[in-house]
Amino acid sequence: MTAKVDISFTLNGHLKKVSVPADMSALTMLRDMLGMTGTKLACGEGECGACTIMVDGVSLNSCLMYAAECDGRTVLTIEGLRTAAGLDPMQKAFVEKGAIQCGYCMPGMIMQAKYLADTKGKMTHEELQRGLEGNVCRCTGYKKVFDAVAAVVGVTE
Amino acid sequence: MVSQATTESQTPQEYAAPSTIEEALRSIADGDATILAGGTDLMLQTKPGGRLPYRRKLVNIRRIAGLRGVGEKDGRISIGALVTITDIANNELLKTAAPVLPQTADCFASGQIRNMGTVGGNICNASPAGDMIVPLLVLDAEVELSAWAKGAVATRLVPLSKFFTGPGRTVKQPNELLTRIVFARPDKKYSVGYIKSGPRPALEISTVSAALSAIRDNDKLSSVRIALGAVGPTVLRAVKAEAYLEGKTVNAQVVAETARLAAEDASPIDDVRATAWYRRHLIQVYVKRLLENDSQG
Amino acid sequence: MEPIAKKSLIGQRVPKPDAPDKATGRTTYINDMVLPKMLYGKILHAGRPHALIKNIDVSAAKALPGVYAVLTAADVPEMFFGVGRDNRPLKGGKVRCVRDEVAAVAAESEELCDEALRLIKVDYEDLPAVFDPAEGAKEGAPLIHDNKPGNRSLAYQFKHGDVAAAEASSDVVIDSVFNVHYVTHCCMGTSCVIADFDCDGKLTIYSQTQYPYNFKMDLAPALGIHPGDIRVIQPPVGGAFGSKLDVYPFEPVCALLAQAARRPVKLTFSREEEFINAPTRQPVRIHMRTGAKKDGTLTFRKVDCLLNNGAYTSWGPTVPFVMMRTFSSHFRVPNVDIDCRAIYTNNPYAGSFRGYGNVQATYATSIHADMMAEKLGMELLTFSLKNAQKSGEVTPQGARLNECVFAECLQKAADVTDFTAKHARYAAERNKPGRIKRGIGMASSIHNAGGAKIHKSDGCGTMIKLDDYARATVITGASEIGQGIDAVICQVVAEELGIPMSDITIVNNDSAIAPWDVGVHASRTTFIAGNAAQRAARKAREQMLNAASKRANMPADALDLREGWVVHDSDGTPVLKIDKLLREMHFSREPELVMVSEYYEPPSEPENKEHVGDMSAAYSHAVHVAEVEVDTETGEIRIVKFTSVQDVGRVINEMGLEAQLEGGIVMGIGYALSEELKIVNGQVRNPSFRDYKVLTAPEVPPMELHFIESHSSTGPMGAKGIAELPTIVPAPAIANAVYNAIGIRFFDPPMTPEKVARAIWERDSKLAAAE
Ligand SMILES: Cc1cc2nc3c(=O)[nH]c(=O)nc-3n(C[C@H](O)[C@H](O)[C@H](O)COP(=O)(O)OP(=O)(O)OC[C@H]3O[C@@H](n4cnc5c(N)ncnc54)[C@H](O)[C@@H]3O)c2cc1C
Ligand code: FES
Ligand code: FES
Repeated sequence: MTAKVDISFTLNGHLKKVSVPADMSALTMLRDMLGMTGTKLACGEGECGACTIMVDGVSLNSCLMYAAECDGRTVLTIEGLRTAAGLDPMQKAFVEKGAIQCGYCMPGMIMQAKYLADTKGKMTHEELQRGLEGNVCRCTGYKKVFDAVAAVVGVTE
Repeated sequence: MVSQATTESQTPQEYAAPSTIEEALRSIADGDATILAGGTDLMLQTKPGGRLPYRRKLVNIRRIAGLRGVGEKDGRISIGALVTITDIANNELLKTAAPVLPQTADCFASGQIRNMGTVGGNICNASPAGDMIVPLLVLDAEVELSAWAKGAVATRLVPLSKFFTGPGRTVKQPNELLTRIVFARPDKKYSVGYIKSGPRPALEISTVSAALSAIRDNDKLSSVRIALGAVGPTVLRAVKAEAYLEGKTVNAQVVAETARLAAEDASPIDDVRATAWYRRHLIQVYVKRLLENDSQG
Repeated sequence: MEPIAKKSLIGQRVPKPDAPDKATGRTTYINDMVLPKMLYGKILHAGRPHALIKNIDVSAAKALPGVYAVLTAADVPEMFFGVGRDNRPLKGGKVRCVRDEVAAVAAESEELCDEALRLIKVDYEDLPAVFDPAEGAKEGAPLIHDNKPGNRSLAYQFKHGDVAAAEASSDVVIDSVFNVHYVTHCCMGTSCVIADFDCDGKLTIYSQTQYPYNFKMDLAPALGIHPGDIRVIQPPVGGAFGSKLDVYPFEPVCALLAQAARRPVKLTFSREEEFINAPTRQPVRIHMRTGAKKDGTLTFRKVDCLLNNGAYTSWGPTVPFVMMRTFSSHFRVPNVDIDCRAIYTNNPYAGSFRGYGNVQATYATSIHADMMAEKLGMELLTFSLKNAQKSGEVTPQGARLNECVFAECLQKAADVTDFTAKHARYAAERNKPGRIKRGIGMASSIHNAGGAKIHKSDGCGTMIKLDDYARATVITGASEIGQGIDAVICQVVAEELGIPMSDITIVNNDSAIAPWDVGVHASRTTFIAGNAAQRAARKAREQMLNAASKRANMPADALDLREGWVVHDSDGTPVLKIDKLLREMHFSREPELVMVSEYYEPPSEPENKEHVGDMSAAYSHAVHVAEVEVDTETGEIRIVKFTSVQDVGRVINEMGLEAQLEGGIVMGIGYALSEELKIVNGQVRNPSFRDYKVLTAPEVPPMELHFIESHSSTGPMGAKGIAELPTIVPAPAIANAVYNAIGIRFFDPPMTPEKVARAIWERDSKLAAAE
């Protein structure tokens, strides 16, 4: 029998207690156990960033993170960015700048953009491009994504 | 692809998340444990049909504060096994004392993976393309291995150059934990450089990576170290090239000969990422660049 | 009330209506869906290219608790489907490529499915296999389908004029062989389907399909049911790009599992399965011969294309339809002789992919233009202008180029990039020392921009209804796959009805509700569905204005609909709120509801047997200029600047338009530089993003986009379809730039660092040896 691990953590501001198989990924826990399907599975191999979430303020690939490792930590997913006050400014910018096409990569892209904004703030265009290097988008060509982040944090040449 | 009729994949039967080194060592003392650090290698390798079935117990070492931190004592720099690649990229001490490490960290995977992946995991994973290994080799780093023996923590230091025995294989015993990496703070005259194949700035498993360090005295080189990644069963030192370069003054002919010898030192293969020809070609290009451009390849 | 001035939404920057839900994780994609009682399905793929199935033992899999169905070919009727009607959902007898579906299971979880698949034992006897179409065509080659002698699949020919005479009278002839490679769509949402049968044997299928209506027709034979008994629901998808324009085996397999298990079944590919089993772009060997007069006039093109059909025939081998159009109409080519053959092999097979043959063809035609100009000692721009068609010209295959602005596009592209001066300068600097070389390259192409009549109809049905609160529902056949037709339709309808875009709901995801449409492909949706929506909206508008005219006692044409009001057209004086008007119409003595419908069929014609016909209602051109830096040691190519000039007819949603172009260009750059599905001996060697390199953010060059508005007389508000050209033109522009930089032609993309470094090294070694 696969070991089960009882964990508790804060998910988008709410306390969660779950029992997860020791080898389960945080992504599987979020999507399949908790129904939080905003976070996407697109490769399951750390190569695309669609599964990006923030844990204690740090962005990471939830497909590579062990669910058990969420114990005691603060997890933020795309669903948690929107508050009673409405869309997060980053989400709003993505909408208004036309950065979203099929949108499948966008939960991860927006979380990573949010992480960059939180940790770096204003950045150079190259820093921005590098900051998003772990997020694949097949639709947009990234240009409108750059525009959106720039609208929120300001980007210098 | 689903392979047919393989044995059932093993899953962990027990889980532990110790908070001290001692606790962790006790819990892996029987050697039947899989160690989890950032998980960026482990999660994929343990998938059903993957190359690494779980041992009985999964031991998550992420909560051990004693495995974190970068520090300096008596001229020796110590990096905890759990230090992440992002930590390395941003660490002020390393930026001044061994800038090649932050520079390497910057070419590593993606932002998210750098946030999760640890230097200890990169070394223990023992991939021939392991990027942090390459500069650490030219810094003459040693790894500290710890185990629980006779009721106490026992540690041993192993030079990184003696640590790897093959792809995914090391001298580390199953009951041992890599606890930290240590190396002497490089001399002021030391110059170190690192280059990783592109064209992407990162998120690329190295086709070839190369690091070179040497003491430069009026263009004369001594204590030369050249390390090459992804061109052999382990990250390797280009011993013939090093020996040749020792004591020489850099000029076009010396550069060309060093590059040629380095390519000879390597034993690259053809794989889906590149042919052996291209790997040898890149080794020469990079060694040349490292010699010509001082450090920042 | 203040007067309300006339404002147009057309040309504005309009966000996609579905963007907020997508930005917040609210959108439930098909991959996210879970139905009550739903099971999961998985397929056992052959993993070998050509083998007899001697025995399949599924007993252990069937005995596994939690497994509801295990199917092999023996369990299902022998039905054929696919474009070539040569594919079966589950393969019996033998397997013809690694993808082949030998068995499938439905179980309570994906993990259980995997476990069950591992318990299925298949005994194979490997057969000699063939992977190269030239080999496959030879006598004595292993036969892949018993009923396909010579492994011959589809073949196409087109001839016009007298090529032999044209060659005899040509001053310069060039001859090259291009090999364009395998790439795959890499939709971020992997292939996924959910099938559910009701008690009457009617199927509801939740599908990623881009063509819901013909999908029914194509799926039915694979299941042996009536197309009318299939309802297609299209939840949001993570990209498509042409990959979902045919039925692929996983879809009928999932339906068969659902039928057997009497439960809904969901089948999703892992990323690895996606790389191996999802369609590719059609690889082609193009042998092209081009002639010209001294003055630069093109005289002929003779083209021979060999297509690796793979094991089955989906849309891939039909791409000559479009390739021939490019060969015969990219520039004025008076004489053409084209011969295309697809030969079955034991490789995986191709489908349609953004650009649909034109990516392949333009690689050849645009590089040949560059080569020809050089050989003639002419500037590429001069040469291109000389051969660019003008409005009103008719191509050899009968395409009528109305509103043709090819020359303007060429001139603009050259002007804004300083092309001619830079091109000469970089060529002159080529042999100077230095490891980084710069180059600039130009390429162009033509593509259908008003649909493409490859089916009997290229139409789209649309219905519009307005409720008592002046909220409109547009029920359209046009599918949304992320491309942004939702925004365009909202704009067009809001423009006609004078209501805010936010008051419009689009329903387009259920074949039981929405009327017929041929599908999202061929850059047709804005054009066709936009036209249909505009026409339907005009009907509604007319009905509303007539009703208002009675109430306001003014002629209908003196009224207009603006910002929720009926107003005087002349000065914008408000007369009556639109919602009030609608209620008055509804609850009057002669009650009327505003509910209108329209079926728009573009004024195009299918090709005849000789491949002649004006198959699109509009055509457009794009010209791309790439400026590159080549590292002559590592072979790495960096794009310094990318410029696109495209005839878009008319800008409707500027932001959506830019987004389509940027996304398409980046995809095209990836095709040129890094993307390649490496298929060796029928096996996919790089089934992961780790080794299949799509472009990432740091690799995106600065892009400059210019739109030329030719105002199509047939398009909605003058717009043309735009979404494929951006993917079609980048590769040859880059190849020409690389040539300008280092003097080496690459006839076989992608131009990977290794390929470029090797070519430079080989050339330099030869030069050194010669000295
Ligand atoms: C998308 C992607 C991109 C990547 N790019 C790169 C790259 O550019 N360069 C590169 O070098 N690598 C790359 N990697 C590999 C990986 O991220 C690194 O090797 C990383 O440093 C591993 O660290 P970790 O903490 O995640 O290790 P884990 O996955 O937790 O562990 C790796 C192995 O080491 C063992 N282990 C870990 N820590 C210890 C310890 N302290 N003592 C004993 N054993 C231990 C584990 O049991 C396991 O076998 C990439 C991986 C992915 C998924
Ligand atoms: S799904 Fe986690 S990185 Fe792709
Ligand atoms: S919007 Fe479709 S993948 Fe990014």
